[in-house]
Order: sequence, then C-alpha cells, then structure tokens
Amino acid sequence: MKKAIERLYLAIIFLFLYAPIATLIVLSFNSSKSRANWGGFTTQWYSEMLSSEVIMDALGNSLSIALFSAVISTVIGLLACIGINAMRKGPKTICLTLNNIPMLNAEIVTGLSLMICFGVFGVSLGYGTILVSHVAFCIPYVILSIMPRLKQTSTATYEAAQDLGATPLQAFFQVVLPDLMPGVLSGFLMAFTMSLDDFVISYFTRGRGINTISTLVYSQVRRGIVPTMYALSTVIFLAVLVFLLAQNFLPQKLDKLTRKLHEKRSLKGGDEGGGKWVMVAAGVLAVTALILLIVPGGEEKEEEVVYVYNCGEYIDEAVIDIFEEETGIRVVYDTFETLEAMYPIIEQGQAVYDVVCPSDYMIQKMIANDLLTPIDFSNVPNLEYIGQDYLQACRSFDPNNEYAVPYTWGTVGILYNTKLMDEVPNSWSILWDERYDNEILMQKSVRDAFAVALAYQGSSINATDPEEILAARDLLMAQKPLVQAYVVDQVRDKMIGGEAAMGVIYSGEYLYCHDENPDLAYVVPDEGSCVWFDCWVIPKNAENKENAEAWINFLCRPDIAMMNFEYITYASPNTAVIAELDEEIVNDPGVFADEATMGRCEVFTWLGDEVEEIYNESWLEILAYSDEAAGVEAVDPDSEE
Amino acid sequence: MMSKRLGKQLLAGPFLLWMVAFTIIPLILMGIKGFTTADGAFTLENILAMGSEMNIQALILSLQLSLMSTVICLLLAYPLAMILRKMGDSNSVIVFLFVLPMWMNFLLRTIAWQSLLEKEGVINGILTALHLPTIDIINTPAAIVLGMVYNFLPFMILPLYNCLAKIDDNVVNAAHDLGANWLQTFVRVILPLSVPGIISGVTMVFVPALTTFVISDILGGSKILLIGNIIEQQFTVSYDWNTGAGLSIVLMIFVLLSMALINIFDKDGEGTVL
Repeated sequence: MKKAIERLYLAIIFLFLYAPIATLIVLSFNSSKSRANWGGFTTQWYSEMLSSEVIMDALGNSLSIALFSAVISTVIGLLACIGINAMRKGPKTICLTLNNIPMLNAEIVTGLSLMICFGVFGVSLGYGTILVSHVAFCIPYVILSIMPRLKQTSTATYEAAQDLGATPLQAFFQVVLPDLMPGVLSGFLMAFTMSLDDFVISYFTRGRGINTISTLVYSQVRRGIVPTMYALSTVIFLAVLVFLLAQNFLPQKLDKLTRKLHEKRSLKGGDEGGGKWVMVAAGVLAVTALILLIVPGGEEKEEEVVYVYNCGEYIDEAVIDIFEEETGIRVVYDTFETLEAMYPIIEQGQAVYDVVCPSDYMIQKMIANDLLTPIDFSNVPNLEYIGQDYLQACRSFDPNNEYAVPYTWGTVGILYNTKLMDEVPNSWSILWDERYDNEILMQKSVRDAFAVALAYQGSSINATDPEEILAARDLLMAQKPLVQAYVVDQVRDKMIGGEAAMGVIYSGEYLYCHDENPDLAYVVPDEGSCVWFDCWVIPKNAENKENAEAWINFLCRPDIAMMNFEYITYASPNTAVIAELDEEIVNDPGVFADEATMGRCEVFTWLGDEVEEIYNESWLEILAYSDEAAGVEAVDPDSEE
Repeated sequence: MMSKRLGKQLLAGPFLLWMVAFTIIPLILMGIKGFTTADGAFTLENILAMGSEMNIQALILSLQLSLMSTVICLLLAYPLAMILRKMGDSNSVIVFLFVLPMWMNFLLRTIAWQSLLEKEGVINGILTALHLPTIDIINTPAAIVLGMVYNFLPFMILPLYNCLAKIDDNVVNAAHDLGANWLQTFVRVILPLSVPGIISGVTMVFVPALTTFVISDILGGSKILLIGNIIEQQFTVSYDWNTGAGLSIVLMIFVLLSMALINIFDKDGEGTVL
C-alpha cells in the first residue's frame, strides 16, 4: 500500500515535469507553424532543422560551451571544496560567501556586469567570453553539490589510508574521491545542464554571429517561434533519453565491470549506485562528442564577409544562401528582439555590424546621434524598384533619402476574430469596452501601445506635450484590467487559437494569421494609427560597407524581394513585387494599406531623449500598475491551488 | 602538518582567481554605475529609486511569489527525495530523469506551459472533454508560481537527494531500535541531518525565483511586473543603466539579508550558504 502511494507520487511528479515536454514533442510534428492549430503530421521541421546552418552552429556552440564549462567548473569546484574545507572558519566563511554571490545575483545583473567588465577592459565579445562567464556561474553549483557530501565524509578513512601507506594523492583518488563521486558527478551534470539551459548570461556576453540555442530561440520569439526549434529540442531530448534507457537495459556486462572497479576502490562496497553515475556522466560526454562531430563546424577562412543585424524571423533564410552563392560574400547573420535592445549594441560598438534593419523613429535617432553612414546608391542600382511614394514617405525620418532603403512597411491596427465579436472594431474605443474583458491583447512595445491611446484621445502619435502623454498613460492604466496580456509575437498564436477576440498587431502579420484562421480580420481604426517603415541602414563603424551595399541591392532585386514577401508576408515597397502579386492581395487594405488608411496614419518620429524618457517611465508605470483586483491580493486565493 | 593544510588550502586558488576576475570585479564596476549618474557624478538617487511605490510593490510581490514557490518546491521534493533514497540501486536513473527536462530549452519549456494553460489550451481541452470545470490561471500570479515551481523543482530535488542519500541507514535503524517511532525518527534524526540539503535547495530555488523576469513575462502576460522585470526594463527599454544598476544593488543586499535569515537554521554554522 505504502509502495503504491509512493509510486503514484512519483508518477504525478513525472507527469508535471514531462507534460510541457510532451507538448513540445507533439508540436514538433505539427505541419502548421502555429502552436494553436494542428495541421497534420509532418517531419518537415526535422529536415529543415538539419539543413539550417544557423541552427547547427548554435547547437554546436551550446554543446561545446556546456561541455567545456562543465569540465572546467567541476575541476575548479572540486579543488575549491577541498581547499575550502581545509580552511579555518574565517577564510572559509569568506570563500563560501564569495561562492554564493553568483547565485544570489539576478542573472541579468551577472550578465550585465560581465558585459560592462568586458567592455571596460576592451575584451571583444565572442565564444570565449560566453565560456568564461558560464564557468563563473557554474562553479557555485558544483561546489554546492560537493560540499554537503564532503562535510558528511569522515576524515578518518583518508587518514586511515595514509596510515596504511598511501600517499595523500593515492588516498584522495582511492578513498575520498569515490566517496565524493555522486556529488562530483551531480555537480558536473548540473553545470552541464545549467550552461546548456542558460539564456540571460549568454545573451549579454555573446558577440556578433555567435548564437547558442537559447539566444537563437529568444531572437526568434519576436516574430513567432519556428517549429524547427521544437524539433531540435526533441532530438536532443530523445538522444539523452535513448542513451539512458540503453545504459540501463543493455550492457549488463559493462555495468558489472564498472561495479567491480568500483568495489575495488570503495571501502564500502556497493555504494549508492555510484557506478551508474559514472555511466551517466560518461554518456553525456559521449553523446555531446558525437553530436559535436556531426555538426559541421570549423573555422572558415576570412574571405569577403558581411555582418547583418536583422529582426528575428524577418527573412527567408534561403535568400541568404542564394546571396552567398552568387556573390561569394559570406553572411554572418544575427538577430535582435527589439529596436530598443538593438540600439545600445550599435551605439557602443561592442559588436560591429555592416548592415542593420531598424524602423523609422529609430533610424531618425541613429541619424541624430551620428551612428549611420550615407549609402552609396551607385552600388544599389536596384533602388529603382522601390516605389517613389515610399521613398517620399521615408523622408519624414531620413530627410534626403541618404541613409535608408525601405524593406517592409505597414500599419498598426486591430486583428479581430469575427466569430467572437459581431461588430467591426472601427474605433480604438473598443479596446476600452468592458464587454471585452479579458479578450484584448495589447502590443508590449512602448511606442505602439502609446500610439493606440494617443490616437484614441485624439492626440498625435508623436505627442511631445507631457500632459498629453500622461493622459494617454492614464488611459492605458484604466485599460489594463481588461487586457488579457501584453505580447509581442504571441499575438499571432493567441489570435489564431481563438484565445482573445482582438489584438493590436502589425499589418504584416495579418496575411499569415488569416491563412491559419480565416475568421480573423484586420482593421485600422478611424481615429488613425501608425504607419511604419523598416529599412536597411549602414552603421558608421561598418567594416564592409561595399558588401553591405551589395546586400541591400540584392534584397531589392524583384525575385528576391518576392521570395521574402512570400515568406514573411510583410508588405513590400518593391514595385516589381507589387506588379507580380495577385490583385486580391494588393487590394487588401490589411496587407497594402490604401490611401484612405494612409491618410489617417502618421509615421513615428524620434522625439528626443527627454520626451523618450517620459514615455519610458510612463510605460513602466503602466506595466507595473495593478488595480486591487488584479494585484497583490489576488495572490492568496490562488495559492490554495 | 601546517604546511599540508596550507597546501590543501591552495587548491582553492583557481576558484578564488576566477571568482575575483569574473564576479567581484564586474560587480564593482556595476556598483560604480549604480552610485553615479550617466555623467559620472556621485549620486544616491539610483539606490533610492527602490523606494518608489511601483518598485516596492513589485518587490513585495516577487517576495510573496518566490517564497510560495520555494515552499511548494520543498514540500514536493522532500517526500520525493525520501522515496528515491529508499529505492537504492535503481535510483540514479530516476534522479537523472528529474534533470532530463532541463535539456529542453528553458524558454521553450516555459512557452509550452502557455499552450497547456491557455483558455483554449490543452489542459482546458481535456477538462472540457471530461465535463469538468475549466481552469483560468494563465496571466495570473498562480501561473507564475507554477512556472517557478516547474523550472526550479530539480534544483530542490538534487541537493536534497544528495544529502539524504548520504545518511547512513544504521543511524536510522539505531533510532528505531532505541524505540523511536517513524515521526520521531524523522524529526529528530533525518530532518536535522538533511539541513544542509534543505538550505542548498532553498537557496537554489528562492534566489532565481525572486529575480526571474522571463517566467513572469511569459506566463504572466507581461501584466505582472516582478522586481526582475523592472530591472530588465530599465536596462533594455528605458536604457537607464544607472538606475538599473542601483536597483540591482538593492536587490542584491536584499537577497543577502534573506539568506542570512535562512542561515539561522543552519545550526552547525558551517552551512553551504554564507
């Protein structure tokens, strides 16, 4: 009876731990790109994953960094434990306190402090800086795994071994180490998994062109998770699982051998499955080594190269391959999550990029702060395909059309589910309508969220008057209880899955969402909204300016622009593409905003540091705001679950 | 004898070097940022920023949620570690199974919970099919606690198990032989011996839970700001590194104080923390 309860308990915990993993595995075979729809069984994502250089590189980096940092931190940690244990109380306390610092710190603080540090000492960010940082945060976990074990180990055996003639080294390896082994190995495994799983610290200490799986996933979060990532995780997971099962059921002989070896060393005989731990760790090493061998890697010689910095999921990757093939220029492709996160990286020049794809107001800010260099348009003959209207519109942030070549454009509006609401949300006021409590998704982006409230109250979306801004802030606070969530990319999946009746969205997402769920429609409310342009620009410190121009020229080529349009579904300013497209799409104001819509929209402009600060502070206040119902007090009833 | 002791102590050298170079020095640099304005003049403003209503509220909420998830983790993990301890030889595989989920990317795992918990999500789908009432906890503090427990549970299980596995069966048997019943054995023998494990586990769960920003972001729908979110926003959105650094320093001090408090329970004074 007691045993049955124990089994049940184990089962429940396992269910809890593995439910999301099962979900991910199922999704990796889903032919629909959306999390919300089941589009049938496919293995497409697996083949795509295997052929993606970006993913394979990231995998190689993640695994080798995890392996090296686990080995290094285990060695350092084990030595440290013995050293610390031999200390008097004072120094010991100091060391253990020191050891706790990385754990007590918010990861983001550790990551940022390291980034600042590398910056101050002029260390350029790259593979090495990630590795060094990972070792630094893994060591404490290793020590915490070994220390309790060491404390419980009596020194008597060690002394006895020496009395019996063993050298200290022999005594250590034959007596102390076997006793510590479960702690050492769990420390090693923990370091390995921690490193593999880390996102925040890698994110801040990586250099251009270096991705781990985590940073890759994160950069793709904004435009929507690609199922290839689910596939990748599934493969890693299954590889480890299969190994585990194999070592448990197959090689009984090997197991016996290990145990014999173990018995020879251990004074106690059958220790708590220490042999298994050795096997597990050896397995982790073997699997990693195997995958590292398979992953194509190695240094390529520095030929012509261009460093590209784009939004996540904002290009058809096949386009990159064609570019490399045709021009012989190697592309190092990196992505950022938000414009706000991109800006400091360009400004500080810790990672130097040749060509970047920001939006209107950010371009204006970069021009104002002298971060861009004019494009030599004699190298961009394909500019002729870019519609004059669009270039004209771009003058609002690039007055002489010197710096920016438009890539995509669109509006901000409301995506709504015709099944969940009978009316067309022609006015922003519907986002304040209590009938839609918990049915509203807002953009988690300062300027876009404020644009909604500013347009609703009749102000310009570029309002600089603090009173207008604060009034908009109060509106957004009043709206918060009705909002289901503030999202960036997830608005697509949530809308497709029917989670909410409406969401504020970029027009470029509409076509994709509509294909996945035909009940979805898009409208730009009558009060007006924002029209935006994402353009390619060349930073002042670019090292390969001509290659950057070749890249821009290439993306303006009609066939390439077409490929990109079909993949990302964001409206293109390329006249040749527009001429090729179906009437139906071109005339859909959801995709290509018509003149009436354009007439009531404004382009964002950069408002200067001071006004920007008012916006940012107000935005934080909105996000932190909670009315009594949704706030702290709501915690207690929930805790009973 | 003296020199041997010194020799042993020297083994901690690489550790100290690494810690100073990649933890202490970066933190000092961050501290400098926290106590200066953007122009480099000395100021206390960044530190005092924690006192604003918004930040205090976020800090209190972070504390509540992280304490709650630490307690839940402990309550879930302790019986589990006890069961694993009893299972003897076959347990290493099972222990490994508890670490295995961490091989799936942390961000992906947390996003998967979204699919499970959503209004039209998997769990509600199953509940509806069984004609049971649906749950609606996504984008609430409860979902964040669940995410914390899920992500940090292995950090509680491992140190606890490590510690419990080391307890000699003879000690437990001796207690029984001397007439202690199950409860007495547990309270007087097993529990005190597992204190180092509990402290390690609590540290490993409480701290990341207190400072997380990703979990609250994904499962709280960005509607609920924890102190980690505020710091993250200061760095990435407001681009105000000085205030962010100031808040981080206060948070650090705060965590240190909590740890000192936890440490009171570590009676032998040589715990793994502080």
